[in-house]
Amino acid sequence: MMGTGGLSLDQAPPIDIPARFFLTAPLFAIAAGLLLAWQGPTLLVSRWMPGALAATHLIAIGYLGLIMCGALLQMLPVVAGAAVPAVRLVGTATHLLLTVGAAGLAWGLAGSGPTLIRVGAGAAALGFLVFVIPVGIALVRARGAPGTLLALRTAALALAVTVALGLLLVAVLQGWIRVAEHTRWVDTHAAWGLMGWVGLLVVGVAVQVLPMFYVTPTYPAPMRRWFAPAVLVGVGAASAAWIMGADLVGQAVFGTIALGFIGFAFITLRLISLRERPRLDPTLLHWWAAMLSLCGAALAWTFAAPPTLIGVLLLVGVGVGLPAGMLFKILPFLTWFHLQHRQLGSGRFDLRIPHMGSLLSTRWARVQFGLHLLALALLAGSLWVPVLARPAGIALALSSLVLLLLLIGVARTYRRFAALLRPAPSRAGPQT
Amino acid sequence: MTDSIATFMTDDHQRCDQLLAACEQAVSGGDWKRLAEQATVFSKALIGHFDMEEQVLFPELVAISPWASGPTGMMTMEHGQMRALVEELNEAVDEQDADACLGILETLHLVIQQHNSKEEGILYPMAEESLGDQTTKILNRLQAG
Ligand code: HEM
Repeated sequence: MMGTGGLSLDQAPPIDIPARFFLTAPLFAIAAGLLLAWQGPTLLVSRWMPGALAATHLIAIGYLGLIMCGALLQMLPVVAGAAVPAVRLVGTATHLLLTVGAAGLAWGLAGSGPTLIRVGAGAAALGFLVFVIPVGIALVRARGAPGTLLALRTAALALAVTVALGLLLVAVLQGWIRVAEHTRWVDTHAAWGLMGWVGLLVVGVAVQVLPMFYVTPTYPAPMRRWFAPAVLVGVGAASAAWIMGADLVGQAVFGTIALGFIGFAFITLRLISLRERPRLDPTLLHWWAAMLSLCGAALAWTFAAPPTLIGVLLLVGVGVGLPAGMLFKILPFLTWFHLQHRQLGSGRFDLRIPHMGSLLSTRWARVQFGLHLLALALLAGSLWVPVLARPAGIALALSSLVLLLLLIGVARTYRRFAALLRPAPSRAGPQT
Repeated sequence: MTDSIATFMTDDHQRCDQLLAACEQAVSGGDWKRLAEQATVFSKALIGHFDMEEQVLFPELVAISPWASGPTGMMTMEHGQMRALVEELNEAVDEQDADACLGILETLHLVIQQHNSKEEGILYPMAEESLGDQTTKILNRLQAG
């Protein structure tokens, strides 16, 4: 007999769980922007500047980590037909620990000392741990779209490796252990984080969501089946080679993975151009910009451009932009969906639930995208023209502020309608 | 013509997707007369699809496998949500409110997609399995629809 679990409507977690991840995340991107605006060009002088390391983790853990964990908690039951065990507890703990961890680690890396680094790293690692275990359980149990599942499983694995390596780096910074060639370990941690965790999540989401949102052809079957495991194995092999000093092998494999991501980006842009829905909405604009950033980063790596450029393109171009674009759809849709259910429960069919267009203004979402592009251009430019660094920081903070305000707007509308749609007192049971 | 219920119904989903996209095209073009026509064609196709399921496919399925009444009930409830959105769309078209049309079409599109993925992933395969020997009869009734 076939499972009917996937048809159940109440598998989705309560809306406040993903919503709190989504509403907190932009604060960290704003913080990264303000940090840059405050420190100015020195932050971008090299990848080793304390400010750069802090901004990296504000974005990587505070912004991306929160959004991706929130979205996964929401989407797993729907995509994979597998509920995350104890989702309220897991969501609450992950959200708190990641928030504290990102802030602490960034603050510590920015120069406030080893204690904060320790506390922050510990909290962030614990946050990812309490997330990865139950999600891992759900992913193992899951059945559903194989392409997506594979990418999500590999991404979860990559996250675990990234965090383990991050903890190792902290131990080195604290002087607890010593490694030969520290830089190579940092490179490896960054590769697992950026190519593994972020890259594979983008792939998993794209494969699942783009055909559905825009009615495009599906990704070619080999890409759906082989890309994610190939990247995982590749990153593993390349980092082992890199750490052991086999430079040529390491670079060749990293280069191949970079080529693979360029291929993915081109296929994505091509599928988007073949879509049946004509609208070029702000989400699509973000996909388009993120795919070009991805290509740019791969090219920059190939031509040995400054590592800060690669970091900017991946962390801001892909990492900040794409999730913002996805949130433009995810939060309004979730809100509509949950309000709809409340309406069924309350029987208030005289009320009209606001549709997505009235929950989040497409015009303001376009403004957000414009500011994001401006920030990206200024950031890239500032690597050659340092005076652009402060304006770039301000643009980054502003674009994320607009995102935050848009999301707050959706949440407020939800509150207003949820209050009107209180469940009707049950006729049979005692009134509460 | 196909000899599979799942393929027949899935093709009809795709036809509805295309008709919804055509409505969006008409809104963007600002041609209200064309939009009104497109919206009518789209509504007819979508509601027709729901009727096929609610009047033919689901009852046949439940008659053979009574435990399917849970999932089909769920699907029928979601049809109700989409019927309400279609009504809203037609009002927005009458009022020539482009923003509302786009917002409603967007909502409708996402609801349809997640609804369809459940039908195509679970319900239709279930129907094929249970109703295998009556396929021709049911397909005839669906096409007569
Ligand atoms: C608990 C989680 C994490 C901890 C404890 C951690 C810790 C660290 C530490 C200590 C460094 C190196 C500082 C140095 O030695 O100079 C570092 C670098 C880095 N981390 Fe993390 N990290 C974590 C998660 C992540 C995640 C999820 C990402 C991913 C996307 C990420 C991306 C990076 C990058 C790109 C760098 C390199 C920056 C550079 O090029 O210098 N980290 N991390």
